[in-house]
Formats: sequence, C-alpha cells, structure tokens
Amino acid sequence: MSRLKNNSCQVGKIVVFCCNYTTSVSTDTLREAGLIPENLDVKKLPCTGRIEVSALLDAFEQGAEAVFVAGCRSDECHNLSGSRRAEKRVGYTKRLLEELDIDPDRVEMFFVHRGETQPIVDAVREMTTRIAKLGQLHSI
Amino acid sequence: MIIAEQKPLDEILEMISGVERLLVLGCRGCVAVCSAGGDKEVGALASALRLGRKKAGKPIEIDEETYVRQCDPEYLEPLEEDGKRYDAVLSMACGVGVNFIADRCPGINVLPALNTTFYGANLSSGEWAEMCAGCGACVLHLTGGLCPVARCAKSLSNGPCGGSVGGRCEINKDVPCIWHQICEKLTSRKQHQLLREIVPIRDWRPSGHGGPRRRIREDLLP
Amino acid sequence: MISGSNLEQVLISGEFAVTGELGPPQNGNFDVVRDKARILRGHVDAVNITDCQTAIVRMSSLAAGLIVLAEGVEPVMQMTCRDRNRIGIQSDILGASALGIKNLLCLTGDHQKFGNHPQAKGVFDMDSIQLLDMVKAMRDDKKFQCGDEIKSHEPRFFLGAAANPFADPFKYRPIRVAKKVKAGASFIQTQIIYNVEKFARFMEIVRDLGLNEKVYILAGVTPPKSVGMARYMKKFVPGLDVTDEVIERLKGAKDPKEEGISICVDIIKQVREIPGVAGVHIMAIEWEQAVPEIVSLAGLSPRPMPKTFEPRLRSSEAIDLIVSKAMKDAKAEAEKALEQAKAEAQASRDLVLKEKGKISSEVSNLKRRVEEAKAIAVRKESEIGRLTRELAKNRAGQGHVRTVRRSASGDAGKTLSSHDSSALISLRSGLEALRKGLGINEDQLEALKRLFEAESLLSSGADERVTAPFDRSPAPGERLEKPEAESRHREVVSLAAKGNVLLHKNDAAGAIDAFERALAIEPEDKKAREGLKKAKEAFEIAEPSEEAAGPVVPEGIPPCPEGLSPEDWQRKWVIRLVATGNVHLHKGEVDKALNAFKLALELQPDDKRAKTGLLKADSGEAAPVPAPAEPEVPERAEVPSAPGPEIAKVPEGVKTEAKKGPPVTVAPTVTEGISVPELPKETRTLFERADSIQENLFTESCTGAIREVCLGEGEKAVTLGGASTLPFHIFEGDMPRAPQVAFGILDSEPEDWPDVLSRYYSDVFSDPVAWARKCIDHYGAKAICLSLVSTDPNGMNRPSSEAAGKARSVIEGIDVPLILWGCGNAEKDTETLREVTGLVGNRKVCMGPLSDANYRSLGATAMAFHLPVVASSPIDVNLAKQLNILLENLGLSLDQILMDPSIGAIGYGIEYSYSVMERIRLAALTQQDEKLQVPFICNLGREVWKTKECRLPSDAHMGDQERRGVLMEAITASTLLLAGGELMVMTHPKAIALTEALIKGMV
Repeated sequence: MSRLKNNSCQVGKIVVFCCNYTTSVSTDTLREAGLIPENLDVKKLPCTGRIEVSALLDAFEQGAEAVFVAGCRSDECHNLSGSRRAEKRVGYTKRLLEELDIDPDRVEMFFVHRGETQPIVDAVREMTTRIAKLGQLHSI
Repeated sequence: MIIAEQKPLDEILEMISGVERLLVLGCRGCVAVCSAGGDKEVGALASALRLGRKKAGKPIEIDEETYVRQCDPEYLEPLEEDGKRYDAVLSMACGVGVNFIADRCPGINVLPALNTTFYGANLSSGEWAEMCAGCGACVLHLTGGLCPVARCAKSLSNGPCGGSVGGRCEINKDVPCIWHQICEKLTSRKQHQLLREIVPIRDWRPSGHGGPRRRIREDLLP
Repeated sequence: MISGSNLEQVLISGEFAVTGELGPPQNGNFDVVRDKARILRGHVDAVNITDCQTAIVRMSSLAAGLIVLAEGVEPVMQMTCRDRNRIGIQSDILGASALGIKNLLCLTGDHQKFGNHPQAKGVFDMDSIQLLDMVKAMRDDKKFQCGDEIKSHEPRFFLGAAANPFADPFKYRPIRVAKKVKAGASFIQTQIIYNVEKFARFMEIVRDLGLNEKVYILAGVTPPKSVGMARYMKKFVPGLDVTDEVIERLKGAKDPKEEGISICVDIIKQVREIPGVAGVHIMAIEWEQAVPEIVSLAGLSPRPMPKTFEPRLRSSEAIDLIVSKAMKDAKAEAEKALEQAKAEAQASRDLVLKEKGKISSEVSNLKRRVEEAKAIAVRKESEIGRLTRELAKNRAGQGHVRTVRRSASGDAGKTLSSHDSSALISLRSGLEALRKGLGINEDQLEALKRLFEAESLLSSGADERVTAPFDRSPAPGERLEKPEAESRHREVVSLAAKGNVLLHKNDAAGAIDAFERALAIEPEDKKAREGLKKAKEAFEIAEPSEEAAGPVVPEGIPPCPEGLSPEDWQRKWVIRLVATGNVHLHKGEVDKALNAFKLALELQPDDKRAKTGLLKADSGEAAPVPAPAEPEVPERAEVPSAPGPEIAKVPEGVKTEAKKGPPVTVAPTVTEGISVPELPKETRTLFERADSIQENLFTESCTGAIREVCLGEGEKAVTLGGASTLPFHIFEGDMPRAPQVAFGILDSEPEDWPDVLSRYYSDVFSDPVAWARKCIDHYGAKAICLSLVSTDPNGMNRPSSEAAGKARSVIEGIDVPLILWGCGNAEKDTETLREVTGLVGNRKVCMGPLSDANYRSLGATAMAFHLPVVASSPIDVNLAKQLNILLENLGLSLDQILMDPSIGAIGYGIEYSYSVMERIRLAALTQQDEKLQVPFICNLGREVWKTKECRLPSDAHMGDQERRGVLMEAITASTLLLAGGELMVMTHPKAIALTEALIKGMV
C-alpha cells in the first residue's frame, strides 16, 4: 500500500518549473549560451497553474538549493489564471519554508513574456545570487 | 461540513520529534473538501516534514496514505495491522478521525495534524465560515434560519445587543451582526412578532454541557 | 415599592433622578472606591458600579458596591452575563441582597474581545433579557431559575436594564426596551446621548409603545473631556453617536474640560424636556469630580436626602470616622465648657478682687475711725486726769470745792460716757461694715462654690477679715477690763465665721463642728447659735441626698431594676452594704459602718459578713476619727497601679534568689527567698490620674454581680466572688473579695515536674498530707488543691479506694479549704470522688471537675452533702452556661459552683481562655446572665509546668530555667486574674508569692 521514498537525491542545484508555452528553450541551449550554471533542472509543465505545493517542496527535498516557477505574464496565460494560481502556491510554499526555518527567498515566482529566454536567464542569475548569499541548504 | 486547518509545522515537528518512521494519513471526507487533509495536503505535509527533518539533520522516513473516511470503522480496518510498522500515524482527519483511530487501534500512536475548527460552509474557494454550533437545540425556525448561537459573538437569544452598528458586529467590522440580519429577515417576512417575544433561557445540556453526546437510532442498530 | 431603594423612592416621587457611575479600580485599592464614592455622595441618588466594564478585570461590582454603600452612597450593582453562568449569577445576587444592595442593572456585557483577556471563554449562559427574567422570578415568584423554591429571604431588587437608542436596527431598539420591561426592568439607563434629536425620535417610539408609563427612563450623558476623547468615542465605541456639533464645540473651546461639562449640562437640559425621561445617568468614569458641577449647573441639586439608609456592613474606616467625629464633638463641647468655666472663674476672681478692694477701703476707713476714737479716748483720759487733779486740788481746798467737785465729776462723768459710747458706736459700726463685707462675700461664695480658686481666695479673705479688727483695733474699754475674755470672744467669732464659710462650702458637718466649738467657749453667742441651727438644717438636707448618691442607703434600697429578681437585687445590696460598711470601718467611720451593717442585716438577717462587721464596729475596731472638717484622704488606691515597672522589678528579686538557690542535686526544703516585696500602690484615684476627665466618661457601671461561693469551713474558710464590677475595676464598682491562690499538690510523686519546681516539694512527695502541710506552714497556703492524678486509667490507674484514702487523710490533716481535683476521666472521677464523700461525710471539700459526662452522678453527691463543685467545660461560653444550667436543674445552687472554663498556659492558647472568660464575665455583669454569675477557678499550675519552656534547662538563650518557669506561671495567673479568675490553682511557691503580691497591690 505504501512506498517509502528514497531520501538520497541526485543533486540539481536549481529547479525551474516553467510553462510549456512560455519557453521552448532547453537546458542544453541555455548551457551552450554559457549563461546557465551546471546544476540546473528545468521541468516543463503544460501550465504553471498545475504546480502543486508538494512538487515545489519535493524539489527541495530532492536537493534543490533554490526553486522557481517561470509562468506567463498574468495577461498572457493560456489558461487565463494559471500563472496567478502558481503564484499563490509559491506564496504558500514560502510560508511553509518559513515555518521550517528555511529562507523563503529560496523559492520564487517569475512572470516571463512568452518566447523570451533572457528573463529566464536573469531569473537563474537572481536565484544563483540568492543561493550564494544564503549559503548551502543541503549539507550533503 | 467539518472545517479544519493544518497545525503549524513546528508544532507537528515537535510532536514527531522522536519518530523515525511516520505515516501521514489523510481523509477524503470533510477535510479533503475543505483542503486541509486530502491527498494533496498529505503530499505537501509529508514533503515539508521530510525537508524539515532533513534540514535538522534527522532525516525521517514518511509514507503517505489517504483513507476514504477515518470516522467509519470499515475504512480503518487495514490500519490496525499496517499502522504497526510506524512509530506514529499523523492523522490529517478532523478530531473525530484521530479519536476514532485512538479508540479502534489501541496499539497505534496517533497524532493530529489538524486543528478542527467548526461546522461551516464554503463561501468561496479557500473561504469557509461557521454556520452551526452543534448546540443540539435548534431554534432556526424562530430566527429566519440564521443561527444566533453560532453566529452571534455572545450567542444572544433575544435580539441584537447595543453594539450592533450598521449591520456589523461590535467585535469586528468584518463580522456581520446576525441579529441585524434576523431582524430584517423576520420583518420582511412579517414575522416580527417573533422579535417581541422573550425567548426563555436556554438549556445548554444538548450542546455538550450535559456531558458527551451520543445518538442512537434503534432501527439501525445491529 | 419593590426594593425600597433610594433610587426607587426618588423615581416614584416624580423627582428627576440622577444616577452616577463608578468604575472600580484594576486593583484591590479600597481607598480609590471610597474616595470616588465620597466625591459622588450627595450629588446623585445612586451610583452604578460597573461589572468589569469593557471586559477589563476590575474589582468586583459587588465588593465595590459594598464599599460605596458603607460610604453612604447607594449602589446600582451592574451584573453582566459574560463572566458567570446562572449558578454564579444567582449566588452573587443572593449575596448582594444579603449585604443590602437594592438596585441591580442587568446587562449582557461587553464582549471579552475588547478587554485585557481576549483569550477568556465568554460564558453568555443567558442574555440580559433572560437575566432580568430570572432575577424577577427570584424576586416575585421566589424561585430559582431551575424552578426550585427560595424558601425565605428572596432577593428583592429594583431592576434596571440598558438601552442604546443609537444602535441598529433603530426601529428594533424600542422593541428591545419593551422586551426588557416585560422581562422585569423597572428602569432603563441609556447609552451616552450626544445626538439628542435621534434620542427624541427614539423616545417618541417608546411613548407610542406606552413604555414611558411602565418604566423610568434615565438618559445617559457623559461630559467629553477633550476633542480626542470625543473623536475616539465616535470612531471606536460601537453604538455611540457623537455629533459633529459636539466635536466642533470642543475644538473651539479654550478650556475643553469646561466646555465638556457645559455640553453635558446642555444635553441634560434638552433631554429633560423630552416627555418620558425620568432622570439622567451621568457617566463620568475617571472624572467623577465633574459630577457635582454638572448636577449643580443642570439645576438638579440638591438631591433629595435618602430616607432610609443603613449599610449592613460598615467599613472600619467609616466606624473610625463616626467615632472620631463623636470624639471631636465631645472634645469641642468639653472645651466650650472649660472656656466658660474659665471665664466664670476669671469673672469671679475679678469680683473678689473688687470686693477685696472695697473691704480694705472700708477697713482702712474703720481704722481711721478707730484712731479717731482712740484720740478721743486719749483726750478724754487727759481731761479725766486734769479733772482728777483739779478735784484733788479742790478736796485739799475750801468747803465750796465739794460742789465744784460734784459738778465737775458730774460733767466729767457725762463727757466720759458720751466719749466712750461714741467709741463703742464706731467700733460697732466698723464690725457692722465687716459683717456686711462678709455678707457680700458669702453671696459670692454661694455663686462660686464649685470654683476652687475663687473658693480658696475667699476663705483666706474671710479669715483675714474675721481676725483683722481685733488685732488692729482693740476696744480700749475691753482691753482695760478683760484681756482673757477678749481672746475668748475672738476665738468664738473666728469659729463662728469659719462655720459660716464651711456652711457655704456645703460642708454642713464641718460647720456644725465649728459652731459647736464656738458655743462650747461661749454658750450664749447668738451668731454661733444661729449658725449651728442653719448648719444642722443644711446637714439634714444635704446628708440624705449625699447618701442616696453614695453606696449606702439609709432607708431601704432603691427599687429593683428591670431584669433582676427582687431576691437578687436584695442579695446584691447586701453585698454592697457590707462592702460599704467595711470601707467605713476601715476609714474609722464607725457610725456609718454600723449603719451599713445594720441595714444589711435588716435585708438579710443571717448574713455572716454583716454580723462580723457589726461586731467589729461595735467593739470600736476602727481607726481614730479624723477631724470632720478635714478633707478625706483616700486610704487606698481606687485603681490598681499600672503594673509595668513593679512587675518588672520583682523578677529581678526572683533572679537573684534563683541564683542563690540550692544546687540541683540536693533537695532540701526551700523556704527562703520566696517572699516578694510588696507592690507600691497607686494612691491617687483614677479620676485624678485621668487628668480630670469627667468620671462618667471612663466609668461604666455593671448591673449584675458574681455570686459568692464559700470553700472550706470554720475560720479558714475562703469566700470567692461577690464582685459587681469587672476584674479590678474598683473605680467603678465593688470587688469585695480579693482573688485567691490555692496550692496545687498531687496524690502521688509527680513524674514529670522539672527539678526547679520539684525541689520545693521533693521531701514531701511521698506524703500528700505532709505536702499540704508544708504548703500551709512554710508557704502560707490559704487553700489546697489536691489532684488525684494517680487514679488516671491511662496512667498509674491506682484504685479509687486508695486515692480516696489519701484524700481523706489530707482532708483531716489540714484546716484550710481543699479542692479535690480528679484525674479528668469522668467515670473514674465519679467513682473516686463518691468514695471520698463516703469517707469524709459532709466535710466541705470542693469537688471537681464535673463535666457534661459525669455531672449527674457527681452533682447528686454534691447536692447531698452540699459541697461546692468545679464545673468544667471546654473553652466555650455556651457550654459553660449549659453545664451550669444542667447542674442547677439537677438541684444544685449556683452558690455551689465554680466554673473551670478550661485554661491554657501563656503561649499555649491562653488567648482563647481569656476571651471566653471575658465574655462570660461581661455576660454575667452587664447582661445579667444569671447562669454565668459564678466565680472562676483556674487550674493553671499543671498547664504551665508541662510546657516546653518550663522544661528546657537554663542556657544563655533561654535564661534561667526557674525564673522562666516562675514567670510563665505568674504571668499566666495575672492574665487569668485580669480575665476575671477568682481562684488560681498554682504550683511554684515563688510564682504564687508573686501573684499574691500582685493581687494585694491591685485591690
């Protein structure tokens, strides 16, 4: 009936949840551009509105030092309010992190214009800076 | 339905501090509907707890499970055996579920993940309000269907107190004065005579002040 | 009238009522409440005492209400439903009713969310309307909320409720008032009114509903203190409608406080015009000072005086206040009287001086005339000489000389006689002037007899005047004739004058004496005779009244006062008369003593003491009679001296004696060092020492008297009791018998006596007879108390017969009274004491203790042999009285009973014994509780010597063991003596000597 989850994790330093519509760039493209750090895990969702709090927490659990969601700008969401929902979930996750005494800045919501890569690159930089500032979350 | 909300994480972490194998057990009854203890909440809580324990350097093994209801014996049956594999079972049901597990599965260390708050309705997504106090002596036929016991800050029986201003309660402008609404409703229904009659002092025994309550329906007894 | 409260009376009378409000403090400060009450007193008809207003914890409205009530302000107790359920509320209501609170304002209460305990569970078992309904049913149907009957003393409250005309829904508000009236409200106090127009509309609906006929509506007002306060109320207080006009007025005001008061007054004046408004409720919480001004400015003062107002509980301060006021009044009165007396004295002194001047001028005038008379006499003499010489010449000459001589001698004789008589006339007129002078002064004496200074001045003046003329102006003729008669006459006149002076001093007896002495010298002296007659008349008038005021009543006794049987009254008077006789005898006034004793015997022909007294008086056993004119010097202190220094001194003696005592190992007879120096007595009366405070201010006479109980028989018999005043209060009553001390001895060797005690008796431990004899012969014991401790079933449990045998030998071996004290086991004592009476027959031995367990059997024995008994009861007035009653019912006379109230040593509960004894004595003396008019016996020695303090050895910290024990015993005894104890059973000879010295010094 139950499965015990494996706590050992394959380290991805930053986990990005992004909307399928928002960006078509792959991790490789970004890495080639030399703009993206090594440990970046980009997870695509049909719509960021689908994101669950548990998924965001799971990413941390799996070893992420920071997690962010890149959703459509609120007026551009294909599903009208998907990215706004995502924003609330991120907010809720921030609260939980705070309760766990983890800096809520480690999770963030970014609104990105469709088809643009640069804002994502900027977001990655931002989160990298934050990690540098906040230090290691995972001692392993 | 029964409305509940999750306890703060640190309180839960505190209560499971010595636990190494934990089952987070949700309920698909009321608490799932009010988004306090359904599958999603089970996943999020389990994740958060693992993260918290990991951060504290004391990783924990957590399994997740959700039952149809925790307040019916047939759904609890498997737990009697399965539960023994865990140091504790963190129930995300309302207080009824936690009590029922404690009653039915004496060998299991059951812990509450939620604060059970009230009997309420879902005003809109993510918003619930109290509508009933379970007082056991319903007077809604006299008050236009609006409950003064549950919805008046002082549970008044005989009309609005002097603190009712502009239809709002004196304790908080966000709280409507239910007696103001009752007055308006009864007046509009030409039932204002009800407002002139003195409602006698209540018997609070049915509301639990006479001891734990029990209901028996003879025809259904086994 | 529902509750008869002042508020109710004012409202019924139609007067425009004024109520105030008082917020109890957030602490237990009594003074805050009292001070606020004092500010409001007289300016409001009643004051609301809030019940934790705005849900902030404060002193309870019930407690604060009582403080207010004690200050003479009527409270309206507020009661909310927030903090108590129906059980608590009804309970508080009963309490409030019991304590005299008559107005109750029933409220739902502010939600706890507003207060300082928002976490609290709000009770709200009911709402204000249900509360009214419940309290009304308690009052009118005499039923608790549950339906149970309130069997008596149902709470009767004038019930009120609140109304907020400014809350919503507006139209519902008068309906709610109607509901409250229906539920029981007799008066309504409204929320603070600023919007008078809206209130008027509210009142219109109220009138339409006919509510103004059914309920008194008091309009709520509050003086705003500042713009800030007004704005705050407008914004944050739910259901408070502060108009912009009010805020503008405050904004523009120079003095916002004054403007606030003015706004409030304006509102009162406006609401007063609205029909149906029966009064105002001024809420100036934390600004109570404004209320008097508001009431006055609104033309509502003075408030009607409360008709009936009697708080059940008074604060001690209120009592203090009353007492101090009474004292102040009394002092002022006394000062006034003093001033007047001083002025009178001054006036009379002036008058006396004036008269003195007048007299001295008359005297000098007289002197002058006497001188003139002298000069005439001298001239006469020289003329006589000349004539004599001429006569001799003529005799020696011719025959016609005879005629010449005859005529010459005739002339000379005429001249001489005329000269002589003129001199005598002058003298007489001089005396007349003096008499007149005296007369004037006598009149003054009459007027000033109570003024000591004036009196002394006058008496000295009178003496001068009486003697002066004889010294300074001797009548020449008399001097020539009889110098002896002159001095005799002088003496007579002097005595007569003295008699007159004394007569006017109201000392008739002295006057009689003086006149009689004068008559003894000169039996025919008219003045002396007249004086004597007058003095005797005065004496007859004065004497009876003086006697009536004093203790002796020559003709019968005053009528028996109510509450006393004639027999008791007579008995009391016999005691009094005998006592008075003894006092007279002591003073040497044999006649008076005889008189008193005779009277006593008339009332009670076989009173032994009276007989003895009569015999003594007859045989002239009295001090020499003092001169009647001499003032009486009190021969004994009327009041015991302040015992402080004396007591302190005595132990010093004990200390040195103790040091001198024999070594511990030896147990010789210790007789030396026992005696105690006599205590110095206070010879001044209490009146003198009280600095001339009037006697009736500190004396309080008793109406009862303690019975006399006789112990023993024959010469050595001891009688106890007889006092008709509190212990040693001999300045206000008789205490004819001094308390006595009996030596406590045991019938077996004491097991646990400390050496410091047993060393005095160890040689006689084995033989109770020898022990008793030692007490009598060595230590002067006047009574013995033999404790039959050996019979104790929990101790040695010796057979009754053995103890009875010992008791018998003691009874037969001594002549002083004996008290037989059982072991305290009721059954065994009955057995033993009965056996004793069987052996000794009707020897008058006192038996004890009789308790409720064995009073029947022992009482019957005592009755059969007419023995005195000790009635023991456990430190309780009622139990003591009950036992006396039981014994009396059995047939014993109260004259046979000594009460043992059960006593403890000092430090071991003596305060309980003291208190009970004092209460018993007060009941006996001041309330004529006959069943308690019995002497006390205090068996204290055994209590003292078993205490830890008496057993601990001597050490630096606790001091000398013997001295410690002796003082413990003596101080215990002195305490019990002051409580009224008549017979002390004690053990240590030194303690006994100390106690006896104390008694001697006090009576």
